Amino acid sequence: MAYGAVTFVMLVVLLAHLVAAALLWTIGSRLGSRVSAVVAGAPMVGSFAWLLTARPGDAPVTSSWRWIDALGLEFVLRLDGLGWLLALLVSGVGALVVVYASGYLHGEPAVPRFLGTLVAFAGAMLGLVVADEVLTLFLFWELTSVTSFLLIGHGDRDAAVRTAATRALLVTGAGGLALLGGLVVLAQDAGTARISELAAAGPTGALGVGAALAVLAGALTKSAQVPFHFWLPGAMQAPTPVSAYLHSATMVKAGVILLVRFAPFLAALGPWRGVVVAAGVASMLLGGVRALTETDAKLALAHGTVSQLGLLVILAGLGVPSLTYAAVAMLLAHALFKAPLFLVVGIVDHATGTRDLRRLGGLRRELPVVAALAALAAASMAALPPLAGFVAKEKALDALSLDGPGAAGAVALVGVVAGSVLTVAYTARWWWSVFAGAPRSDLHVHAPGPSLVLPVAALAIGGLAMGVAAGPVGSLVADATAIDASLHLWPGANLALGLSLIAVLAGVALFVVVRRRPLRPAPAWVPRGDAVYERTYGGLLAGARRIAGIVQPGSLPAYLGIVFVTVVAVVVAAVALGARPGDLPVRLADGPAEVVIAACVAVQAVVVLRVRRRFAGAVVLGGVGYGLALLFALQGAPDLAVTQFLVETLTLVSLLLVLRHLPDRFEPAPSWAPGVVRVAVALATGAVVATLLWFAGTNRSGPSPAPEYLEASLPLGGGRNVVNVTLVDFRGADTLGEITVLGIAAVGVGNLVRAARRAQRRAEPATLGVTTAWSSVIVDLTARLLFPVVLLVSIVIAFRGHNAPGGGFAGGLIAGSAFVIRYLAEGRTFAKARARLAPTTMIGVGLLLSALTALAPIAAGNEYFTSTIVSLDVPLIGQVKLVSSALFDLGVYALVTGVVLMILNELGSDSQRLVPRRVGRPR
Amino acid sequence: MSLTLVVLCGVLVSAGVYLLLHRSLTRIVLGVGMLGNAVNVLLFATGGKNGSAPILRPDGTVEQPVSDPLPQALMLTAIVIGFALISFLCALAWRSWTLDGNDIVEDDVEDRRLAQAGSVDPASTPWERP
Amino acid sequence: MNAVVPLPIVLPIVGAALSLLAWRRQRIQRAISAVALLAALGSAVTVLASVVADEAPIAVRIGGSAPVIGIVLVADRLSALLLIVAVAMLAVVLVYAVGQRTPDERSRAYHPAYLVLTAGVAGAFLAGDLFHLFVAVEVLLIASYVLLMLEGSNAQVRAGTTYVVINILESMLLLAAIGLVFAATGTVSMALLPERIAALDSGVRWGLNGMLFVAFGLKAAVFPLFSWLPDSYPTAPSPVTAVFAGLLTKIGVYALVRTETLLFPGEQEVLLLVVAALTMIVGVLGALAQGDMKRILSFHIVSQIGYMVLGIGIGTPAALAATVFFIVHQIPVKTSLFLVEGIVERETGTSRLAEVGGLLHRSGWLAVLFGVSALSLAGVPPLSGFVGKLGIVEAAASDGQWMMLAVALAVSLLTLVSMVKIWVGLFWGEVMPVPPADRARGLLRRTPVMAGATIVAVGFGVAIAVVSGPLYRLCADIGAELLDPSAYIRAVTG
Repeated sequence: MAYGAVTFVMLVVLLAHLVAAALLWTIGSRLGSRVSAVVAGAPMVGSFAWLLTARPGDAPVTSSWRWIDALGLEFVLRLDGLGWLLALLVSGVGALVVVYASGYLHGEPAVPRFLGTLVAFAGAMLGLVVADEVLTLFLFWELTSVTSFLLIGHGDRDAAVRTAATRALLVTGAGGLALLGGLVVLAQDAGTARISELAAAGPTGALGVGAALAVLAGALTKSAQVPFHFWLPGAMQAPTPVSAYLHSATMVKAGVILLVRFAPFLAALGPWRGVVVAAGVASMLLGGVRALTETDAKLALAHGTVSQLGLLVILAGLGVPSLTYAAVAMLLAHALFKAPLFLVVGIVDHATGTRDLRRLGGLRRELPVVAALAALAAASMAALPPLAGFVAKEKALDALSLDGPGAAGAVALVGVVAGSVLTVAYTARWWWSVFAGAPRSDLHVHAPGPSLVLPVAALAIGGLAMGVAAGPVGSLVADATAIDASLHLWPGANLALGLSLIAVLAGVALFVVVRRRPLRPAPAWVPRGDAVYERTYGGLLAGARRIAGIVQPGSLPAYLGIVFVTVVAVVVAAVALGARPGDLPVRLADGPAEVVIAACVAVQAVVVLRVRRRFAGAVVLGGVGYGLALLFALQGAPDLAVTQFLVETLTLVSLLLVLRHLPDRFEPAPSWAPGVVRVAVALATGAVVATLLWFAGTNRSGPSPAPEYLEASLPLGGGRNVVNVTLVDFRGADTLGEITVLGIAAVGVGNLVRAARRAQRRAEPATLGVTTAWSSVIVDLTARLLFPVVLLVSIVIAFRGHNAPGGGFAGGLIAGSAFVIRYLAEGRTFAKARARLAPTTMIGVGLLLSALTALAPIAAGNEYFTSTIVSLDVPLIGQVKLVSSALFDLGVYALVTGVVLMILNELGSDSQRLVPRRVGRPR
Repeated sequence: MSLTLVVLCGVLVSAGVYLLLHRSLTRIVLGVGMLGNAVNVLLFATGGKNGSAPILRPDGTVEQPVSDPLPQALMLTAIVIGFALISFLCALAWRSWTLDGNDIVEDDVEDRRLAQAGSVDPASTPWERP
Repeated sequence: MNAVVPLPIVLPIVGAALSLLAWRRQRIQRAISAVALLAALGSAVTVLASVVADEAPIAVRIGGSAPVIGIVLVADRLSALLLIVAVAMLAVVLVYAVGQRTPDERSRAYHPAYLVLTAGVAGAFLAGDLFHLFVAVEVLLIASYVLLMLEGSNAQVRAGTTYVVINILESMLLLAAIGLVFAATGTVSMALLPERIAALDSGVRWGLNGMLFVAFGLKAAVFPLFSWLPDSYPTAPSPVTAVFAGLLTKIGVYALVRTETLLFPGEQEVLLLVVAALTMIVGVLGALAQGDMKRILSFHIVSQIGYMVLGIGIGTPAALAATVFFIVHQIPVKTSLFLVEGIVERETGTSRLAEVGGLLHRSGWLAVLFGVSALSLAGVPPLSGFVGKLGIVEAAASDGQWMMLAVALAVSLLTLVSMVKIWVGLFWGEVMPVPPADRARGLLRRTPVMAGATIVAVGFGVAIAVVSGPLYRLCADIGAELLDPSAYIRAVTG
């Protein structure tokens, strides 16, 4: 963990921005716009002032904070010369823009939140210029995108604004992700994530090229280069301060800054230089032409920015020292002339209520000061001496003509000159149409306040100063970039000066021509980036809908079908991969009885498919179950047999209770797939499951634990019925879970049925008469006699279970069935009457008892579910063995009885009148 | 491994699957019951050769060959859980009948709306175009 | 310590039992739920502390019997960590539900079912026995059925039916798969299985793995088995959806992690990668097509599952670490998104984007709550989603999975798209008319309990980002531990 005091302060500054933003977002509305402006401006002014004192020497200071070692992720700030210079720019312009904004947005709603986002952006931008770790850089990169989204969307009630904000975010976001990919690969390739160390381990090979191009993509999207340029003009939907700050002075420069940092060691890779020059030149020319035809003063400047960014990308992207130097100089100059021009547009807009160049004109009389300042900035943009633009442009042309690398350099030079011609022309046109010419009588101009004019003055005069003081500024830049070069106000008669002269003259000429006969906007066949975006985006959504339509038919049978097909596919694949029956013996059957029963069961299963009546289906299904019970009984599984038999009975009863409400026959449902498909899927699934069972069973790789169970049963479980001991002891947790399932299922049944009844009451109040089912004296009598007997049996079964077939579950079911008998005999009146203790209570008690029995051993320091076996001598009866798990079984018994009661009470709720609200065919 | 049980399991699975592929909730309930039985048979078949019940004589010995107790224990749990699921489904079928007058499982409305909607659906993208 | 491990399972069950006994007394039910959940959370924390401290999993033998015959509950770093996050979210959502005052939470079945759900979740994480895992999954599923249809309203029944039937099928598949595994190996103990599975020949092994994969994949909603999810979740009551969205699918993922690392290490790499990619892409595209916030979020559950499966597929320690972190981050973030949705729906009566708007101008706080979670989901730094995404991306890069790297990045862009879509739809645009009665107090002030719970949930997600350093170290350890199950096996058998 390395600390430099300086960068530590840097961190504090960043946090200050964050705090200010948080304040403004949360309690800003109570502060009012003036105080908010102060809160927002404070961190920027503070950081500007501090930076002035903290100019780094030759040795840049670094601080790193560990973030996630496992991912090699750390948070690194490094204040080197370049970072310092850019930070100064960010904070300075930021402060001025806040001043401007406080005047510009005065009286508008939500100003505090707007300023909060603005200061958040300023913080992010500061971080971006001083980040020295690829992911730290990416962090701030993304934050600028997000804050820019929010700032563009300030006027969110307008659909155009929302579209523009989204578009800007998505384009820059896409670039951001490319950047992330590139950075991750570069870092892994180089073995370091420090930007300052990446250069040493210059990446190579296809991987390096890929990564480099990904990084380049990030830069080009962020700096609005062709073909991604279109989001920038759209972003002009933002309030003017945002356009001036984000979309001319700072954020759009992020791409350029990225190139300044990375191009020196990436430019040599693959097509990098070609791409850079192509994109840059295209942007310069396209932007220039659009700026020349645009009729909206602000949009004209925006297109101009695209063009200027093209120049910057070329300079920074070629990765040649002298060009990089020029790029930084140009970057400063651009900030100093483009920001004020945008602010001027804001002033004009405020003063006249329009930005239409065709309606404006002659404002130099009403707004002389503004006009003068605008002229100063515009001249700098047109690269006229003695202004910053001229100095920087000279350096650029000079460096390009001397060290432009190969063909790329030559093309770049030509492109830059052509671009400069356009720049001169559109600059002249812009200023002329706003301030020169005859004053328009239809414009009612009211003068701007000082808070609007002063920032413009500061920036424009700054541009002049940079031009006049070219020497010192040049050495400043030289220190910043550690490149030995200089700026001159008078470079002497060289090629560059000649080219500038040509550019200016040609530009003026072009302007004069355009004044005569204005250029028509580009014809429709010229491809427009935003149109492409719209088509891509629309296509994406349309495709998404199509896919959603396919994968999401919304039909349950279809979903089930997909699952079964997947299962079949899996097993088929397994066979293809060599799944074969193993060498364990396969018997035809364990005795003839098995075959017979199996055959009967199979037949019944097929019959179920054919039945058209609901009752019949339920009954035959019951038959299948009983058949299996018989099978189990014959094959050494008495507990299974008993349980299966009882469960089957109960299932049948509850099915019939429900089905009596439903129509006798299945109504024809709209088929989702031809029957043959269904049959095929069914057969295939059955086949593959059987196959896999056969293969698995004959390939057994380990012995069954049966012997261990037989040994452990008595000593550990204190019972002779191994299955039962297993259920209440070794695998008691399963049983606890199982009865929980049962209990909650019953509760759910009750819930649904009550819901049904509530609905009925709402529909037609008080129709739930209770009529006894088909009872008769005999049935009634037998039932009454049977009832206590069966109950007694159930208790016996429950408690002998530990040593003989039975157990709490079976017992509970039998007890339940005792109620079934009475129920069938006497109808629900009985079930209600006898259910003194409500089913839910029985379920609760049972569950509680079982759970506590399971927990109890823990108190004694034993494992969960351990049985305690107490054997004592009772006179007359002899030795009696008490096993704690009997309590567990008692709980099961209570719960199961409760469940049976619940299901009967609810499903059995007699409701001939319980007719559906809308009887009808399925829609 | 008894081939009869393997085949029986396959048959029951097929029957269950076929029933599940219907829209009528009642058939689905029957299908679930059928699948439950199928899985029980599957588990039962894994027990190897079946013999006497795994219940010790008072002297702690057992008559060999004895059936494997573990699959039986698992099946008991499975049977009960299956019962719980089926009774819940029954209640569901009834509820759906009181709502619609049938027990047909219908398609998801929103999905159908989407599938029918054209390539541009203003409802889903309130901000796409100015 | 062995005494503590079962508590997260049993205490909620005890609570549920008491809650049933307090059938008609809602206050008591609420108190019981709160106590039970906090107790469970407390024991989960204790467990994690101890497994991290003595760097070995804890194995609890049911009935004190040998693992050959008895169930074993195993708490290792992975299960303990997930348990904590899960129970914490369950507690938060409980508070939210109580605050929402819908008929759902009023229903007497709510609290018992909710506690049983908790028990099931805990059981699934702690199960060291394949069949007990099945039982635990059943416990949480049956509870989820009940919760999904508390009201038994038309919409709930319609969508609930799909959910119930699909999940019952999932149970059957799982049971069959386990039966087959037992048939082939003669055991269901997850500690004994690795050795015996390795002894099988590859074809059968593949088949068994495939069956388990389908069963758990259906639960986790991976392609092509996900379609049921976006149909059934959106109609559940919001507090219920929040839990389902946050938790249930993650159980499936957890089971997949165990299956593919402990039982069938490094077997399915290609298949997993393909499934992961398709899940991510189809899920996110599905989300783009939707116009309803709940449905959009539901589809994103699917596409995010893809990231986790991707990590499993790459299968390096780093990748598994990323997957684990991703799960941990997803649970609170997804939950809080649905909680925000619940507030929106309560306020506006709908979750269709076209019918809502301008909420930013009514509640900046709500915007912040949503914005933070949404950006986290879209993987914007420095939020937890970014850390998870970065982990996956770095793992893919270092494993040379360029295709997957590209997919992961592209999908996260599309995720950003639909988060922006929701933001624009909900928070920007014309302000909807507000009933004069509500103008007096802020949107969140009118639902303090829900708002509070949501803030806690969002804060939980942010906290994950804050402690991501140590947390990720833990995940890295887990990743290594998963690929070397010897410790796990020793804890159980030794």
